[in-house]
Amino acid sequence: MDPANTNKASTGGTGVYVCHCGTNIAGIVDVHVVVEYAATLPSVAIARDYKYLCSTPGQELIKQDIHEHGIDRVVVAACSPCLHEKTFRKAIADAGLNPYFVQIVNLREHDSWVHTDHTAATQKAMDLIRAAVRRVRIHKPLNPKRVSVHPDVLVVGGGIAGIHAALTLADAGKHVYLVERDATIGGHMAMFDKTFPTLDCAACILTPKMTAVQAHPKITLWTLSEVTQVDGYVGNYKVTVKRKPRFVLEDACVGCMECIEACVYKQAKVPDEFNMYLGKRKPIYIPFPQAVPQVVVIDPETCIEFKSGKCKKTCVEVCADRKAIDFHQPEKIETIDVGTIILATGFYTFNAKRIPYYGYGTYPNVYTALEVERLVNSAGPTGGEIVLRDGRRPKAVGIVHCVGSRDENTNRYCSRVCCMYSLKLAHLIKERSEAEVFNFYIDMRTPGKGFEEFYNRVAEEGTHFIRGRVADIYPDPQDQGRLLMCAEDTLMGVICKVPVDMVILATGLEPQPDAQEIRRRFHITCSMEGFFLERHPKLAPVSTFTDGVFLAGCCQGPKDIPDTVAQAGAAAAEALALIDAGYVEQEPYTASVLEEECSGCKTCIPICPYQAITLLEDKKKANINEVLCKGCGTCVAACPSGSIQQNFFEDQEIFAEIEGLLSYA
Amino acid sequence: MATVASPHPPGAFEITLENLFSFPQGRRVLTCLQCGTCTATCPYGVGMQYPPRRIIGMLRTGQLEKVLTSDSLLSCVACYACTAKCPRGIELTTVLLPLLKEQMLLSLPEVPSELQRALENMLRYGNPMGESPRKRAAWAKTSSIPIRILPEDPRTTDVLWFVECYTSYHPRGQDTARATAKIFQALGIDFAILGNEEKCAGECVRLSGEPGLHNTLMEYNMQVFRKYKFNSIVTSCPHAYDAFRYSYRTAGFDYELRLATTFLAQHLEALRPMLRGKAGYTVTYHDSCCMGRHNGFYEEPRTLLQAIPGIKLVEMTHNRVNTICCGGGGGGMWLDTYYKAKGYERLSERRVKEAVATGADVLAVACPYEISRFEDAVKVLGYDKRMIVRDITELLVESMEGEI
Repeated sequence: MDPANTNKASTGGTGVYVCHCGTNIAGIVDVHVVVEYAATLPSVAIARDYKYLCSTPGQELIKQDIHEHGIDRVVVAACSPCLHEKTFRKAIADAGLNPYFVQIVNLREHDSWVHTDHTAATQKAMDLIRAAVRRVRIHKPLNPKRVSVHPDVLVVGGGIAGIHAALTLADAGKHVYLVERDATIGGHMAMFDKTFPTLDCAACILTPKMTAVQAHPKITLWTLSEVTQVDGYVGNYKVTVKRKPRFVLEDACVGCMECIEACVYKQAKVPDEFNMYLGKRKPIYIPFPQAVPQVVVIDPETCIEFKSGKCKKTCVEVCADRKAIDFHQPEKIETIDVGTIILATGFYTFNAKRIPYYGYGTYPNVYTALEVERLVNSAGPTGGEIVLRDGRRPKAVGIVHCVGSRDENTNRYCSRVCCMYSLKLAHLIKERSEAEVFNFYIDMRTPGKGFEEFYNRVAEEGTHFIRGRVADIYPDPQDQGRLLMCAEDTLMGVICKVPVDMVILATGLEPQPDAQEIRRRFHITCSMEGFFLERHPKLAPVSTFTDGVFLAGCCQGPKDIPDTVAQAGAAAAEALALIDAGYVEQEPYTASVLEEECSGCKTCIPICPYQAITLLEDKKKANINEVLCKGCGTCVAACPSGSIQQNFFEDQEIFAEIEGLLSYA
Repeated sequence: MATVASPHPPGAFEITLENLFSFPQGRRVLTCLQCGTCTATCPYGVGMQYPPRRIIGMLRTGQLEKVLTSDSLLSCVACYACTAKCPRGIELTTVLLPLLKEQMLLSLPEVPSELQRALENMLRYGNPMGESPRKRAAWAKTSSIPIRILPEDPRTTDVLWFVECYTSYHPRGQDTARATAKIFQALGIDFAILGNEEKCAGECVRLSGEPGLHNTLMEYNMQVFRKYKFNSIVTSCPHAYDAFRYSYRTAGFDYELRLATTFLAQHLEALRPMLRGKAGYTVTYHDSCCMGRHNGFYEEPRTLLQAIPGIKLVEMTHNRVNTICCGGGGGGMWLDTYYKAKGYERLSERRVKEAVATGADVLAVACPYEISRFEDAVKVLGYDKRMIVRDITELLVESMEGEI
């Protein structure tokens, strides 16, 4: 195929620009040899190298050549197109060329970073450039397409991340749907007693934001709800939400809680989830006093009416005219249109039973840190008194760091918050009891504002620090009420067996158990350990690989409250940027059907992930809706007659590239 | 390696390190956190001059010579506790320590004579006790059922039963052997043994620092295996199982392999109707390190015990992955006098105290090292009126014969 014949408009020649990228490329690839070679290729009018092509002078170089030498096609051999394709498209557009007349050769990621042999890497660079030169000659002029962005936002998860993101967006005047799985918003933060390092009361700083969510006219709050399906694309998502029955009508309930008082269960008997099962609740209950919405909920698993249908229903009697209780409330399916989505689905705490030698679940006085948060909380099951399961008050407490973190047998990563919350619990225990506290740690990690100072303070208060990972916890044979914590004090070089009354396991943070399901539902990806993957760890930390879907909080990885709130704000800002622009520009890589060749076999229709293809009944030909097409190319590959072509990836463009690659000149 | 600053000219210790760092599992020691889990969980960690954490620390700072000229590594009983709990996944028991122990045996001014003797016996007689190889199958003559011995009757057999040393020679081991044979016969298993052609598989030899002797035994046993036709190997000894499963692979071992305990657990449905005699006692089961921590068989022995009518199974404080070693692994079987001289508490006694604390009448075991070790400990501690030690196969046979 002779490139000159395929596009008669392009006669001005090609410019080839090879970037050194400092030493990233030039350290392995001999760029001067590559440039000399490129200059000899057919159609190439100019070949140059430059230290950093992405810099303004680098771009100016290309623009100048377009103006002065009339080149009409450009090949940039530099880094990944993910990083600078847009930069160079804009540069040549500024100089008057169609932006799609540039082809990027990824010399850095595909060549210099992955090879060590200079000669072979230089040869590979020449091959890749030859292919690009062939291809770029037949590029057709294209224009990016615009799609509008629906101004409503979906926020999934009502912990501090979701709450902050929702409030930020709503305060900016956007309508937000906040969908929460539990009966109340607040998430893990609502369960904490104090927050490190400033020891603010968690409830005092969180509940005002929770009530603000409830009161905000721009926020639609759906609790006991889950997203079941997500269709559409950036700017135009269609989301299905399943709203489970509460068996109490939110509009009718005034939150007087008389029904709880009146329940036929005189005593609370059901282990209370919010208090980590350390306390009891009734089948009709409110998760905690400041729950939002302030609406009671009935647990059908334990309510007598649901089990036997023969309850006296004293709750209904006392509710009287308000008629808020409805045992027959159905499940509801809602469908909403939103332009952007923020996922703030939070974390799961490590199941301490997975490390059997720490005795959680075997010895009643081994607690997880989250249980102790409830125990030291004045609204908790013991009113803030540190009382053990056997009724005793501990005289010695041991805290084990890194439980389910930094461990090849469980999770390899550091959970980031455990050192600090362990220090906080040490402080609170010393404040509220006479107990001695022993912190067993591997490395003390306090990298945050005021964190190291807090460590200092807790040490000064007399907490004992033993540098060693606990290897075994078992009942003291001499005193069965106590537990022995066995570790090597590695700084002293001695093995110690510390007798304690209470063990606290500083359990790490894990992805939610259904994170994989959720990521499929929202068409995003997870990193190796199972947290949702950000688009770029440094430069796009709240974006995902799906446009219009953003991340906030621990669903992306373990983090503390300040970082979570910062990230939630960032996610809200990213959503706002899309909404306020009103549209997004999308690559024009859409597919289209060559009608004369289409046989109407319908192979392409069911495989299109965006439902963009329909059959024109009159002509019996497939038709692709350009607005819905995302340019994934699935139909192009599947079409048995080769009658679907995709912009920028047309057969002749691909073949030109292959021929260029294989033709050793 | 650039990571190790050594003041010594290249020599044996440096070569040891180079060997260690030449493969991925060996290089894991460079990731050690120095958290001390290994030292704190090591059953002899308190007594060692250089406990495991310090060994890694010394190794990384070029002070390996001090470690290898001390006798610290003789205290390793290859119990896998450090390996199972190491947060960095460093394979101390299987990778690091055998390599160092080999150098230590060369560097030590004096190797304890009992260990020396056991290893010499292994080379000369194929068993550590120095028993005559010609008497290896002597127990079979006292068995109530006929035992086919392959060298005498080399027809193809379904199951080749690798009996191992302690089951073949120790009087209490022989009880287990006879019990196992009875169960095999009752299940209609077509089995045979190698008789006097069998030699120790050599797992403890390797883990006590004699890989060369292990390889000699391995090559010998592999040759014997190749002489006969059989479908699978079943062994009574977790240590032999371990050797076959891991090190023998390097010599081409690819037979279907099972441990007698798991083999019987697989046949439980056929076995269950035969278990007629009701046991009126409480049992506690000791997880053997090699069988449990290293090979993951925690539930099979318990399933077998619970199939015995009338048995009550109770757990010791340390069970499954957190079990306490009987002290017999990695050469510990042949160092009892040495440990006593060091003033160590006998691990078998530590274990028996925990077993007695459960209130159980029977301490059930599934590794042939343990019967003799625990029976001694029970007697020494004066618990012989309160507790008996039985192999699981013995308990099964008792129930089958309704003797209880």
